[in-house]
Amino acid sequence: MTSKTFSQGVYLPHYKKFSEDKSITVISLPEEVVIPLHQHTGAPCHAVVKVGDTVKTGQKIGESAAFVSAFIHASANGTVKAIEPRPYFNGLLVESVVISVNPEQEEPRWNEKDVTELSRDEIKAAIKEAGIVGMGGAAFPTHVKLSPPKPIDAIIINGCECEPFLTCDHRMMVEMTDSLVEGAKLIARAVEAPHIIFGVEANKPDAIQAIGAKIAGDSNIEIAVLDVKYPQGSEKQLIKAAMNLEVPPGKLPFDVGVIVNNVATAIAVYEACRYQKPLYERVLTFSGDGAAKPGNVKVRIGTPISHVIDQCGGLPSQVGKVVLGGPMTGWAQSRLDVPVVKGTSGILIFTSSMVDDYGHMDCVRCGKCVEHCPMYLYPNYIGVYAETRRYPMAVEWGAMDCFECGICVYVCPSNRPIVQFVRDTKKHVAARSSK
Amino acid sequence: MSMSSELNLSVSTSPHLRSKENVPNAMRDVAVSLLPVSAVSIYWFGLNALFLIVLCMATALLTEVVFRKMLNRRSKRFDGSSLVTGLLIALCFTVNTSWWTAVIATVIGVGIAKELMGGIGWNLFNPALFGRVSVVIFAPLLLNEVNIAFKPLGFSLSTVDVVTQATPLALLKYGSGLPSLSSLFLSFPGGALGETSALALIAGGAYLIYRKHIRWQTPVSIIATVFVIALLLDSGRLGIAAPLYHIFSGGVLLGAIFMATDWVTSPITTKGKIIFGVSVGILIMVFRLFLAPVEGTAFSILIMNAFVPYIDRATKRPRFGEVAATAKMAPGVSQPVQRSV
Ligand code: SF4
Ligand code: SF4
Repeated sequence: MTSKTFSQGVYLPHYKKFSEDKSITVISLPEEVVIPLHQHTGAPCHAVVKVGDTVKTGQKIGESAAFVSAFIHASANGTVKAIEPRPYFNGLLVESVVISVNPEQEEPRWNEKDVTELSRDEIKAAIKEAGIVGMGGAAFPTHVKLSPPKPIDAIIINGCECEPFLTCDHRMMVEMTDSLVEGAKLIARAVEAPHIIFGVEANKPDAIQAIGAKIAGDSNIEIAVLDVKYPQGSEKQLIKAAMNLEVPPGKLPFDVGVIVNNVATAIAVYEACRYQKPLYERVLTFSGDGAAKPGNVKVRIGTPISHVIDQCGGLPSQVGKVVLGGPMTGWAQSRLDVPVVKGTSGILIFTSSMVDDYGHMDCVRCGKCVEHCPMYLYPNYIGVYAETRRYPMAVEWGAMDCFECGICVYVCPSNRPIVQFVRDTKKHVAARSSK
Repeated sequence: MSMSSELNLSVSTSPHLRSKENVPNAMRDVAVSLLPVSAVSIYWFGLNALFLIVLCMATALLTEVVFRKMLNRRSKRFDGSSLVTGLLIALCFTVNTSWWTAVIATVIGVGIAKELMGGIGWNLFNPALFGRVSVVIFAPLLLNEVNIAFKPLGFSLSTVDVVTQATPLALLKYGSGLPSLSSLFLSFPGGALGETSALALIAGGAYLIYRKHIRWQTPVSIIATVFVIALLLDSGRLGIAAPLYHIFSGGVLLGAIFMATDWVTSPITTKGKIIFGVSVGILIMVFRLFLAPVEGTAFSILIMNAFVPYIDRATKRPRFGEVAATAKMAPGVSQPVQRSV
């Protein structure tokens, strides 16, 4: 099997051994869930429940009239205790619905629908109603993504999971293959795309086999086996690897006739269409060198990460970092009462040995960042100019095209925090253009 | 939630993984790659060579410490780059160089060309070559007059009776008494410490390429350019051997492998490295054929150092998707979907 890929990028240690063979288990309900009303790209939702209301699992509790937004649903039966700003994984406070969870829960009942009869618009309506967003981390509303202004030639289902440690997509591909393939077909139908490509990195042979068995004989569906290289799962690099198409700077995949959806998203789409099940729970990976019981767990949205950590064996004594998401693009947390949200793909516990806090030095122009940047930018110059606040020069060397994959920082012998410099530059540019 | 208050979690921007790369390790590798040639020079010149090497390295380290103190740059951690600069400066000298000439070159290289320019990363010129060339420029003053003045102190290395032969480059100029190519390649005690063995230099360079600290494009483009020009313009007397003599002498290999590849003072892109290398090669041959051959390699690299920011700018590559975007500008051309598998 030859595996395809894109140029540059970097081979990272996988760290998947911790959890790649662990079947998905379900985390118990916490005493209270904190459900942010803004978990997606686009307009925030407003609460459609009041303090004191009783709510049921799957009941809509937040909505927005804006097109680019995603509805919010209760993730447990309980009573609305408060609607107030609560800490969010990015360090900010976000208006959230706090539900105190009933000790007695009943399983929500679904009425099954025959998905083969659904029209394009019905599929999209079901997706919108279920509040589905991209679950790989970007959290872009899926019904918006599936309304492109141009015809679509192919949809790619992103099963790369190129971030080290994370294995939840891998487990879903193996354990939920039927829903995944059905979800992919629904997505393709929603945009009338003739082709479906599953992009999977070569280090997941069981997933490749499972999907392969399911799609055998269907000439419109194929698997692209991809090199295990970071950031293979980034949309532009994935499209390049799987289809040899380059999405130009500032453009989106649909500009080249492609739409990319993550594995978890495709499964959520299937469940939304088949059962009208809203997105109120997700599978995530609990791992890290300090994780007591690494695994892949199904968690209700709004569950505080402290609860998940407790359920997975607690924290080690010398904990250094708690990261939400993957180690390359995830967010380090200062507190553990932040909730799991739709875009949370992992909770990683790192011991202090994985934490480097020795500061950075000047750029020695070794060229490693330039050699590996998957966007062909000049992280060295971006860093030097942003550090000295010459932001227009940082932009000239590519700061606005950076998608913060973190490779340049990873390879830099001077440990330069280039992603931070890029964020500073973007912030500066945004502030200037809004003036 | 109760645990969050007493936890002292580290929060920093992503990524949360780091490779093992760091500057001190890279500098250690460079020093290791210079071991073979250092050993050959010690083999030929004995303790005097060792003394020169140790002296330059110690001076470099001391200069760095003093300048950083002076410039209040205390936060900078030790990175080992000054030791490498010191070693390279020593390798640029012949063994009968007086100790204080070497010291002055090192102080100028590390102190002025590097630390005063802002420290490692900010210097425009290769510190080792800058230091070396500075004493060449002041040579009439330094190498003779002051040497005599210092002689009574008994420090001058030139008082030690060492047999060194004329450099092959000088011999090449006069065209007689040339050592054989094979001895030049394996080891020959003519010229600077760092010119005693082509093989040792190439081995060091191969190690650095293997460790991914330098890219082959720079040395290869310099050497190839010197070869071609020598073959075309200077092969009269010696025929096909002439270009090889040019490459194996006068510090071409030392310069091409260890000086022109210096991270800080060479272009960042592959295309830039090739432009830089070819230009250095041309300049070396201009010095040799039309100007004074003394330190031509060093001057050539230093001159090109000055152009590095411009080379970087001129060789700026298009961003991801930029080429595809311009190609697609042609009207009516729809991009065919290339199917996989
Ligand atoms: S500059 Fe941006 S895109 Fe390029 S390697 Fe760094 S983080 Fe990744
Ligand atoms: S990797 Fe770091 S030191 Fe090397 S060129 Fe890039 S920013 Fe500079």
